[in-house]
Amino acid sequence: MGTAKPRPPGKNSVAHVQPLPDKTFIIDNGAYTMKAGYAPDFPPPEDEDKGLSACTTIPNAIAKSRGARIYVGAQIDTNVTDWNQMLFRRPLEKGYTVNWEAQKEIWENSFFDEKTVRSKDLRLAEPEDTTLIFTEAPNALPALQKNADEIIMEEWGFGGYLRCVGPSLNAWNEVQSIFEDPVLQQQPGFPVSPTECLLVVDSGYSHTTVTPVYKGQPIQRGIRRLDLGGKHLTNYLKELVSLRQYNMLDETYIMNDVKQSVCFVSNDFGRDLERTWEGNCTRGQPDLEEGVVVDYVLPDPNRGKKGFMRPRDPLLGSKKKQAILSGASAERISEDVLVLGNERFTVPEILFTPSDIGMKSAGIPDMILQSLSVLPTGLHPAFLANILVVGGNSLLPGFMERLETELRQNASAECVVRVRRPKDPIRFAWLGASRLATNKEELRKVAITRQEYQEYGSAWTGRKFSGAL
Amino acid sequence: MYHVEIIPNTSSTATPGWTYVRDKGFDPAKAAIAPSLGRKRGIRDTGRTELSSRQTNAIVRHLAELDRENPNNAPLVPVPARQRDPSRADASRGTRTKTTSNVRRVLQSQKTFRNYLDDEEAALAQAASTPGGPGASQRLPLNKITKPSSSRRSSTPAKTPRPEPSRSKKDIPLPSSSRNPSDNTIPSESQPQPQIRQDAEQSDSSLITSQYDSDPLLKSYIPPAPSERLMHTLLSEPPLTYNASRAGSPITGKSTRRFCCLCGYWGKIRCRRCHQRTCGGMKCYKTHEESRCGAIYV
Repeated sequence: MGTAKPRPPGKNSVAHVQPLPDKTFIIDNGAYTMKAGYAPDFPPPEDEDKGLSACTTIPNAIAKSRGARIYVGAQIDTNVTDWNQMLFRRPLEKGYTVNWEAQKEIWENSFFDEKTVRSKDLRLAEPEDTTLIFTEAPNALPALQKNADEIIMEEWGFGGYLRCVGPSLNAWNEVQSIFEDPVLQQQPGFPVSPTECLLVVDSGYSHTTVTPVYKGQPIQRGIRRLDLGGKHLTNYLKELVSLRQYNMLDETYIMNDVKQSVCFVSNDFGRDLERTWEGNCTRGQPDLEEGVVVDYVLPDPNRGKKGFMRPRDPLLGSKKKQAILSGASAERISEDVLVLGNERFTVPEILFTPSDIGMKSAGIPDMILQSLSVLPTGLHPAFLANILVVGGNSLLPGFMERLETELRQNASAECVVRVRRPKDPIRFAWLGASRLATNKEELRKVAITRQEYQEYGSAWTGRKFSGAL
Repeated sequence: MYHVEIIPNTSSTATPGWTYVRDKGFDPAKAAIAPSLGRKRGIRDTGRTELSSRQTNAIVRHLAELDRENPNNAPLVPVPARQRDPSRADASRGTRTKTTSNVRRVLQSQKTFRNYLDDEEAALAQAASTPGGPGASQRLPLNKITKPSSSRRSSTPAKTPRPEPSRSKKDIPLPSSSRNPSDNTIPSESQPQPQIRQDAEQSDSSLITSQYDSDPLLKSYIPPAPSERLMHTLLSEPPLTYNASRAGSPITGKSTRRFCCLCGYWGKIRCRRCHQRTCGGMKCYKTHEESRCGAIYV
């Protein structure tokens, strides 16, 4: 940290500064997956699917199988057959890029090394002729920001560079249609502009954040974070299942699949809990438990079978015995089944009621209200009516309904509450960034060039991206 | 350290090992009827409202467990070594110069997030003790931040200047295309965007006026949208620190729910020895008593 004030030459040199490179590459660097690809040319495609066709989701991890084989990035999705006892190393901790040793390896593998890059669209052949948009979680530590700036600009030497808060990029998307507002007709030839007020709830792998975004910029004082995300849900489910049924403590990946296929957010927690209690079922009301309790058949790597969910079969045990006696197909005998009852909804419940696991923190609806409470009241109606939920957890069934119900109950009655989710909540920030990239004038204002970095260094870069210059 | 020992009295020998406890968790109606225990709460039921340090430790440990990437004693997955083929390395590096000292430092750093966070906290503490230090201007230290507390305060922090009521319409430029005919017919409070609502208020003349319009009881209060200058101030604020941006304790005062430590149903009864909850089904309690009860499991 230098004691010097921002140096005045920053302004003088703008005149002869070199322009940003035309090509823009965007990496939304998430803890679980990174979303990457080149931004389209100027008139961005109207259609969301078309805009996303350039975006690829790559696991941001190095994995090690029980046979001690190492898989990097995209190889995890394609090359792995046996998921048992898979170990992962992720460069991001708590949502922030911490370990650049691992991150560099994954990036090299996915974007720079022509031997391993998956497609032409992901190859970063000439970083010096490319602008990089790199996302970070809000409230990042300055030391980590500095590390990112230095390695991106000094190791790969991108021609242009912008580091920005990931959730705020969502505001660049065309969100009016998601909120069923009249779509503002975009004049052909006019640059894309961000929406005015948007409250972004980003529930990801490491944490859940609330970011009020005003005209594409985050309002810093309103950003709040709940330190619970998809990872915690998976681990909690793993723990409950291991306590009640099989020991699954080593099977993080498999339990993640179980979570994605069985978990839901309950809209009537008490009723659902009654429906899954054994005590109620033994009193001759078998229909009560139907619908909530399910079986999950665990994957069988030897047969190359994937895990799947199916309705509860209470007679499974006796059927199995019969099958053994009658010498039926081995398939039926060898399958392992997890019975999932209240785990299905008590696990995602911790996002809404963290006190269930003893955490003294507000749940997501309360956190939204806390975020609003430090903003001028005049902004409350606009933010409450424009709540956008992104991130993988928003795909849990019932999540949106529950959030809207609880917010409606607690928010001021005069305000309209609208909670919406884009079609693809995981790649939506990337899509927003790709639309920002088509607005060259705006991008030029916030991004820096390689020349500027070489001239002023990383401390200046940090101040520039924090908006202090 | 003093030692508290509970001496069993003779009358309790015949009782089973569990007690019924009032379940305050899930029925708000019942919770409202039950009288508050008042000042003597701490004497009558200790260990339920306030967590003992042992319980707090258990929760912290549990949360750390949930935050874990891999199982407990798994070794760190190594980064595979790249083949350093000199000709290829040159080609892939392109016009890049050789690795700088910064890059080397960042790549070799084995610091974890915890280390970085501790560093920052230390730097902030130092900046706070020496006013006008370099860090003070960058980020607000913890104690200077208006953090929402559990008791609901005024929804607008004192620091924020109130938006002046007599603001002209040109404070916020309104895109002309957002004016659509429906704005004129719907009452203004249902409009999500304050700017559009402003617009609607101006064209209020098309609404039917009645004598109750100015009734203070019927009037809906809509705060004016903040001025451009205020928004500019808000946007140029530095980010909060990592710890300050964490969500506060819950606003809505729901009491903590307790669950059976085995099956996950409501924890209706509490073990007398270890204070863990189980559900009313005797199966769970039996299992607990036989295999899990005891101080070491708490």
